[in-house]
Amino acid sequence: MIRKDAIKIASDMIYNSPIISANGYISRDLFEADDKDTNFYMIGSMGLSSSIALGVALKNPRKRVYVFDGDGNILMNLGSLTTIGKLKPKNLIHLVFDNQSHDSTGGQPSNTKNIDLYKIAKSSNYTAFKTNSKIGLEKIFRKIKNMNGPIMILIKITKGGKPGKRITHLPVTIKKRFSQNL
Amino acid sequence: MLLKLRELSQRKMFDLLSQIGIENFIGVPDSTMKYFISQGLKKKKIIVTTREDEAIGIAAGMSLSKQNSLVFMQNAGFANSISTVTSLIQLYEFPIVFLIGWRGYLKDDAPEHYKIGRIQPKLLKAIGIDSKIITDSNLKECCKWAMNKINNSIPCALIIKREFHD
Repeated sequence: MIRKDAIKIASDMIYNSPIISANGYISRDLFEADDKDTNFYMIGSMGLSSSIALGVALKNPRKRVYVFDGDGNILMNLGSLTTIGKLKPKNLIHLVFDNQSHDSTGGQPSNTKNIDLYKIAKSSNYTAFKTNSKIGLEKIFRKIKNMNGPIMILIKITKGGKPGKRITHLPVTIKKRFSQNL
Repeated sequence: MLLKLRELSQRKMFDLLSQIGIENFIGVPDSTMKYFISQGLKKKKIIVTTREDEAIGIAAGMSLSKQNSLVFMQNAGFANSISTVTSLIQLYEFPIVFLIGWRGYLKDDAPEHYKIGRIQPKLLKAIGIDSKIITDSNLKECCKWAMNKINNSIPCALIIKREFHD
């Protein structure tokens, strides 16, 4: 499963709940697959999508808040997992699209080939799942329907596919429409 | 040991900012403002993060939820976070108050603080963050100034000088 397909499947299942997406190809793919007011595309500040989502989740306890993270991004802000694990927001669902590489900078390898994010998530008080298929991902979504967070879904994806186009909304527009729809 | 921003003032400052509309206090501890943080911990209103940029991210998320946040840190941490300030806070226009402890203000502070301490005011100016230095006597005025900035959707910084040694 390539990133673009995984993102489309996840976004369709999430429907209109808030999504905070990591910079790089993850936000671009989400934008192309399923642009909606409830998407917050983080175009700079690499690593911080899970932190932004934590802030949103803590202040909107009745909404499920989703993070679309990447392996490069999460490795840059691993401390965030300990803060999330300590605060235990029940409504935070953390998806990591892991292709074991920094795709947007030329496909250089990341450390998740050698280090198990699933174990790190578990020891940071997450309920964690992993999959590498469409069916697996759909199954996990059904399973977590009534489950409390923080939940991590580690999605192993393969490299490849044409990356989505650049996001054409202004950052301030992304902020305003997301905020109004919370 | 003489503190320009005494214990009582730091505690007052926390209460004042809470009263006038700051709802969240997130950051990495700094001894320069330890009474401010202790007052917040007492009121169960502090979130301690692992790094400063992480705190800024959380504050941005809370700002999306239409709540006002203050992010506290030492100036070394602010220097670490400059790209987050420019590519998240300023790019998306998140109104956040930074509370920054100014290490290296004294010329004989620890050596690792010397260089950033010396350029601290220039650094803020270069990235375009307005700031005010808080003392015992201008406390109220500074808090109101920061709130006014926030209400006009402009991020800003309050600085506490480190005028003592451990």
